[in-house]
Amino acid sequence: MDYTEKYGLSYEELFAPVDHNDLESEKITAPRYSYWKSVFRVFFRNKVNIIVLTLLAVLVAFAYIYPSVIGYDAQVDPFVNINDTGALHLSPDKAINHFGFALKWIFGTGGTGASTFNSIWYGSRISISLAIICAAINMTIGILLGAIWGFSRKVDMVMNEVYNVLGNIPSTLITAVLVMIFSPSFWTLVFALTILGWMGMAYYIRTRVIIIRDHEYNLASRCLGTNIFKIAIKNILPFMTSVIVLEIAAAIPGYISSEVFLSYIGLGMSDISLGRLIYEAQNAMVTPGWGWEFWTPVAVASVITIVLYVTGQNLGDAADPRTHM
Amino acid sequence: MTKYVLKRLLHGAVSIILVVTTVMLLVYGLMDRTKIFVADGNYNKQANNNRVTYRYRRWEDFGYLDYVPYADYINELARSGELDEETRTEAVTLGRADDGSQDSETAARYIKEFTDTYTARGYTVTRLKAVVIRNKLADGGQPALFAYKDNSLLKRLWDYFSGLLFIDNIHYVPDDVDIGERGLTFTLYDPLYNPTGTEKKLSPAIIGNGTQHKYLLYFDDKFPYLHQNLLTIHLGTSFSVTQGVDVFQTMTQSQGSWTQSMVHYPTGTSTMSADNLHSATYVQGSLASNPLNAGKFVDDYTNVSANRVSMSRMGFSFLIGIISTVFVYILGLPLGVLMARYKEGLLDKIGTVYIMFISAVPSLAYIFMFKGLGRAIGLPVTFDMDNTVKLMYVLPIVSLMLPSVASMMKWMRRYMIDQMNSDYVKFARSTGMSETGIFFKHVMKISAIPIVQGIPGSLLFAMTGALITERVYLVPGAGGLLIDAINQYDNAVIVGVAMFYAILSVLSLILGDVLMATVDPRISFTSKDR
Repeated sequence: MDYTEKYGLSYEELFAPVDHNDLESEKITAPRYSYWKSVFRVFFRNKVNIIVLTLLAVLVAFAYIYPSVIGYDAQVDPFVNINDTGALHLSPDKAINHFGFALKWIFGTGGTGASTFNSIWYGSRISISLAIICAAINMTIGILLGAIWGFSRKVDMVMNEVYNVLGNIPSTLITAVLVMIFSPSFWTLVFALTILGWMGMAYYIRTRVIIIRDHEYNLASRCLGTNIFKIAIKNILPFMTSVIVLEIAAAIPGYISSEVFLSYIGLGMSDISLGRLIYEAQNAMVTPGWGWEFWTPVAVASVITIVLYVTGQNLGDAADPRTHM
Repeated sequence: MTKYVLKRLLHGAVSIILVVTTVMLLVYGLMDRTKIFVADGNYNKQANNNRVTYRYRRWEDFGYLDYVPYADYINELARSGELDEETRTEAVTLGRADDGSQDSETAARYIKEFTDTYTARGYTVTRLKAVVIRNKLADGGQPALFAYKDNSLLKRLWDYFSGLLFIDNIHYVPDDVDIGERGLTFTLYDPLYNPTGTEKKLSPAIIGNGTQHKYLLYFDDKFPYLHQNLLTIHLGTSFSVTQGVDVFQTMTQSQGSWTQSMVHYPTGTSTMSADNLHSATYVQGSLASNPLNAGKFVDDYTNVSANRVSMSRMGFSFLIGIISTVFVYILGLPLGVLMARYKEGLLDKIGTVYIMFISAVPSLAYIFMFKGLGRAIGLPVTFDMDNTVKLMYVLPIVSLMLPSVASMMKWMRRYMIDQMNSDYVKFARSTGMSETGIFFKHVMKISAIPIVQGIPGSLLFAMTGALITERVYLVPGAGGLLIDAINQYDNAVIVGVAMFYAILSVLSLILGDVLMATVDPRISFTSKDR
């Protein structure tokens, strides 16, 4: 088709000559790609994630804001009704009958007459904080050490022996001994769960690093003289982002479960936590009508762990560049 | 291959020794040793100096230190003939003052000798003065003199590992005790089944004299029918969980109420009793000192255990563990395969939700949920050793199975999906092979290999029992042993159980690799084939 005729313009007006530019001709045109933008785009494309995130926000609000709003005091609140014999072990309907309707009575009362609802949220705060702190420490140490462990053959030899020995010591034993040496406090438990807790993560990262380390493109990188830190950060880390997110996703609910487990066997902390609430209510469970004080913390713990787990899993999936197409 | 396995075993042995060392450092070095008296009723009954000496005695029992009372030292001298009875009595009597000013001349000499000997050996010698109320000795106020020294880690390790295996021999009974002719006798007719010698009931046995156990090899009607006492494993003697009994025995001995049967004693008496004569061990002088024994036994092999109605701790744990493991493979593998085959299908979605539920929710929560469900449909929810209804096994087995099935499904599905994108699958597809054919002929076989590696581990660890499951359903299994030991500061049991776990884990890793190499011809552990 003749454009000059179609648009009624001269050839010069329609087209402008462009100088040949070597530098420009080297540029490859590709759609704009930002890793984290794509991660969130993929994450929010799934409508389930919006629901789950909302739920997570509600849970976090109840655990972290609600106790402060009502001015919960762990020294006073659990014992306010201890002398009111009619207030102990009440199911929700009886509690509402006894005290009149209020949000805090919707889960009934516990063995000391305290509101189960309030205790649960205060306990959730401690449990979630414990899990997040432990996960943060273990993941940081695990990833850093695991990377070194995977890269260096000498370190690998030594660390494998260490892993064989320390990995064979029952973790319950280590936790128990530490809880017995120190007071059963929040930070003791953090210490007990992190002193060897990083090993699993480090070993996992080590194996992943070894698999990727010897791929051809890394070999090429090394031949071209790229230093090892650049290889680690630019070549290997992007491969690991999604598995790291997945691991963290499994770890946080995992620490909440550990805390519940340790409390159940009598090695938990002295503060009110989800595990401690479950431990204290386990005897109440067998008495008909008292089941509420056991099942509500169990249910809340389950909901919290499931929401955290699903969020993490889906975020991990979204962090995998292969899903960004 | 054999060389490789031997090398791995040796390596494993070193790891185990290091594990035991670390655990010993943890429990003996870091735990507050005064805590063992918190729950000790006897300790609070002791007063004054007796309480102090009791404390050191118990610490010796728990393996913290070596404790030598002065009286033992003097008695030892007397036994070796260095002291006559009169000097002994004089020497052993301590004066009331702790500076030695009220000691007799003989006593002072021996006290000095005792002090010098043990100080030179690095012991701390302590003397406690008498506690006197109105010129009379107070309760437990006798003067005391003793030496003690903390056991070093090396000595503790040496004692532990050298005592680990005991091979019964005819020199077990001290050589200066006259017990007639020492030796082992092989008989085709076990005297327990042939009390008069005329029944001729065939049951081979090896009987020892001079050994610790009377019966070294025998048959009976309990699984596994052939039993031996030649080799005994000592993992550590308990002091509070099951007093005076070895950890290994605690795990393996039968429990529950006694079961009586007609027992024919060596003297010829027959009576209904729970005594298990096959378990007879030697106790010096027990025949003469206990009149009850005289009617039953003819020698000092009088220490017998009782026949009990129920299985051992490990027996219960293993039975429940093994059945659930079998179900895990029967259910988990096909479900994982089907999830991978019909990826994104209904089964895959349900399975994923189940896996997510089990991985996220605290195990305590879903075990209680299933307990509640079980109760609702009328299953027994607690264990009763004396009344064995088969149904009571159902809930523990199901609870134990739930998490393992989930992880089996997860891994099997993941391995299968990983394989489905590989080149050989594409090649097979291009040759016109059907999808189902590819799936079951190629993909499944390859994907099963990493699963095979875990089989020995899951079988071996069935023995250790599951802590929460056993606690929730009151199963008298081995799972809670470590926690019981920790709560009661029973150091020997802690070390013993940790060692047992370490052995199982080392063995299951080696066996897993061997099994994997057996099913997969591509894997070889010898460098020559590589």
